Amino acid sequence: MTLLDHLFIVVFSCLIAISVVRNLPIVDKLAPVLYGLILIMLVRMASVAYGGDAYLSSFSLDLLGFKMHWQFTALSWYFAIITLVAALASAVFMSGDWGRQYREGGGNYGMLQLALIVNVFSMILLLGSGDLLSLFIGWEFVSWASFLMMVLSPSKLAKKSAVKYIVYAMTGAMALMVAIVMIYAVNDSLEFEQISIVFAQMSGSSQVALVLLLFVAFAIKMGLLPFHLWQAVAYAETPGPGAAFLGAISSRMGMFTIVLVIVQFIGLGGLKSVGTSFANMQTLLAWVAALTTIIPTYIALQQHDAKRLLAWHGVGQGGYMLLGIIMFDSIGSAGGLMHVLNHASYQAALFMTVVAVMYRTGTSDLNKLGGLVTQMPLTFLVMLIGIIGLAGLPPMNGFVSKWLVYRSLLVNGQPLLFVAAVLGTLGTILSVYKLIHNTFLGQLRLEHQNVREVPWSMLVPMLGLSVIVFITGFMPGLILPWIASVQESVGLPVIAHHLGGIEYAKGGLDMIWVSGILFYGFGVGALIFYFLGGKSKRVHQYDNYAGGHFLTSDVRYHYSNNFYPGLMHLIGTWYRGSFQWLENSIVSVMSFFSVFFENIYRAKQPVMLLLIGVVLALLALYRNLGVGA
Amino acid sequence: MNALHLMAELIFMPLIAFIVGMMMVLMMRKISARLQRRIGPPFFQPLYDIVKLYGKDTQISHGLIHDIGIIMAVGGYIGAEILLPVPGMEGIAAKGGVITLSYFLMIPSLGMALGVGQCANPNGSIGISRALTAMLAYDIPFILVVFGAAWHYQSTSLIGMIEYQQVHQWGIVEMPLLAIAGLFALQGMLGKQPFEIYIAPAEIATGPMVEMSGKYMGGLFVMQTFQLYTAGVLYASLFLGGGTSFLTLLPKAFLVVALPMSIAFMFPRYKTEDVIRILWKWPVMLGLISLAFIL
Repeated sequence: MTLLDHLFIVVFSCLIAISVVRNLPIVDKLAPVLYGLILIMLVRMASVAYGGDAYLSSFSLDLLGFKMHWQFTALSWYFAIITLVAALASAVFMSGDWGRQYREGGGNYGMLQLALIVNVFSMILLLGSGDLLSLFIGWEFVSWASFLMMVLSPSKLAKKSAVKYIVYAMTGAMALMVAIVMIYAVNDSLEFEQISIVFAQMSGSSQVALVLLLFVAFAIKMGLLPFHLWQAVAYAETPGPGAAFLGAISSRMGMFTIVLVIVQFIGLGGLKSVGTSFANMQTLLAWVAALTTIIPTYIALQQHDAKRLLAWHGVGQGGYMLLGIIMFDSIGSAGGLMHVLNHASYQAALFMTVVAVMYRTGTSDLNKLGGLVTQMPLTFLVMLIGIIGLAGLPPMNGFVSKWLVYRSLLVNGQPLLFVAAVLGTLGTILSVYKLIHNTFLGQLRLEHQNVREVPWSMLVPMLGLSVIVFITGFMPGLILPWIASVQESVGLPVIAHHLGGIEYAKGGLDMIWVSGILFYGFGVGALIFYFLGGKSKRVHQYDNYAGGHFLTSDVRYHYSNNFYPGLMHLIGTWYRGSFQWLENSIVSVMSFFSVFFENIYRAKQPVMLLLIGVVLALLALYRNLGVGA
Repeated sequence: MNALHLMAELIFMPLIAFIVGMMMVLMMRKISARLQRRIGPPFFQPLYDIVKLYGKDTQISHGLIHDIGIIMAVGGYIGAEILLPVPGMEGIAAKGGVITLSYFLMIPSLGMALGVGQCANPNGSIGISRALTAMLAYDIPFILVVFGAAWHYQSTSLIGMIEYQQVHQWGIVEMPLLAIAGLFALQGMLGKQPFEIYIAPAEIATGPMVEMSGKYMGGLFVMQTFQLYTAGVLYASLFLGGGTSFLTLLPKAFLVVALPMSIAFMFPRYKTEDVIRILWKWPVMLGLISLAFIL
């Protein structure tokens, strides 16, 4: 028995245990302990993240003559540790008062617990896949597990968006299956190594088809343009901590497979060989990434629901990850990979703050909140740390990964992609300020005068995550060895790093110094403020300049709705024009397919579905056999 | 670099920035006075103003975040000055580079935005909304300029850029279009007319400053001195060859700041959307053309 076998056994036992006790009160205490246990198992395997050998499973499975096996590389471990930390934080968050309120509100708490462990189980299964068949099976598991979690919310919209998601996911799975069949048809093998061998043997048009099929499958999961429309609503409608977990890591399984399959086995040379020298596959993917950073970010800017706003940013940040990794150099790919962890940490924390606000006030509508900083100061602090991370400003971890991506774009001489990345960041800054301003700053509403801070069971995971956001920003060298191992294991150039950041000729980065100087500045600023100035007097919020009027509690003057009127006046017309046209046309095409698939589902004829799959597979098989012979 | 030297830099780099910044404020006022046929304030007026503001009896606080916002606004710039190399003092410029500096400079703005938000005054919030919109507008040309300069000098460190210019020619000679685009962005960055949408006294009662009194206002005043200094020195380092001593650097920095000031008083104020439109059109176009030459 190898450590990987142990891991699978532990995760599976946890799945069984939680599914048995899910409706008993003990699940609150048990679930965090079990996630902690899995985390310990992962920590025991940590050598793989410091340059050690990959773990192989000692068992394999024969299915219809195919041999399936599993392995755990540095890449798998990196994604697994993020998954488990996010799951642990979510489990603690929902274990106390939040869970009680959820149950009292009529939510199926046991199912939520079950959905979380099913997600973790299926993700570990996917991350541990050792060949294309186990990858496909893990992929299917992950899709259905997310669906299980999304469909839990009682709202009609949630059900609708979950169905929309699963149709997208099935489309992706079909694409993946056809790609796998294309690979299998050439050499009768489903090993990962076959991808590069087969790819080299293929004709130009088959290469294009293979890369596109694989990319479509993974892009759907990750929510990359133009397959991004399912994600934001589906995640935003998922109940509380479930949204935090899904938003943190679920869609990054797409990133994992992109790195595993496209980056590792097709590689830069493969992508560049497809297409012309002016516009090859790398250029295409880079621009998909750039547009994914921009368009969803500016859609987020328009949202007035906090969870939707965050979910749209989750889509947008995926663009940075792809943009970094698609540069294929040491700093860019390190930035892309590191952004997965960074994004998971602050996104989970941010979702939790919004859920905490909903727990106390009952709403996440940004036009119905305000002034909560005096009532919920610690939640405010977590959101502040989270938004600095999301916006990518020093000293939080989001800055480090985005810095690496910018630096890589600069080194590679990509001014337009660079501007696109910065445009995404600036839009994010605008949007997150709106989030924190409309929730925590400004006028406190009369009905929120008695709101209190959330209980510790919710605060502890939020604060823990914000500590991660800060520490990994202050000392990125804690994470960079993992990144370097991942780069080594998938054959990318390895980044030169130290505890404070990276070594790079012509300008590196040392976050310990940068953060230190920032806090030195704050310290001096505080000394000046408190010791050189007169004593300040605290006044009530209504003691305020109102052009000669008096402010009273019945007048709502919090500036929240349509927060950026000037900007929207200008770019709003673009939304109405090209963006909306683009979206509508995609929506029409997609909804055509949705209706088509939905009808198949409604008709309850899985045979039909199977038939379509078989026909497509046979078609691909036939074509490839023809090509291969 | 020994510890003593670093300690000295930690103190003197912000201090010099502050003193030079105050002189730049004085110059700004003198220019506007001369344009309006007045004499203008005496030499120590900026210092008097700061002392007066910090020493006032009435100091209105709207809560802890209001205070912290001002601390972040001043403190962020104090930190930023240490990333900005000047002759004889490199601070920690080697540990960050120009991309870090440009993101570092957003921290004070974020601090101010938080403080203003806590004041719960709609005028202030509108001011911040406009200020952030303006930032979105001027940062696009600015980042193109930074990209072009970094590519041309093959370095993201300001020290490397200055060394290159000392050996070769000044950036403004080698990349004139990019330098013009940079001036455009500078005008927006300093929030001077025609881009002063977020102060707009007649519309939104000075926006972010509406609830600031005493040392809060004083903090914003200090922030402005740092802002002028940073803009001047950064532009001089990017395009005017920096300087081997303060004697050669400071005249350039003053010239860079004087230029937008002199232009400013000839213009009224644009609408917010027009600010974005103009900044996304002309300087971006110049920047892109220039990049086409450089790359």
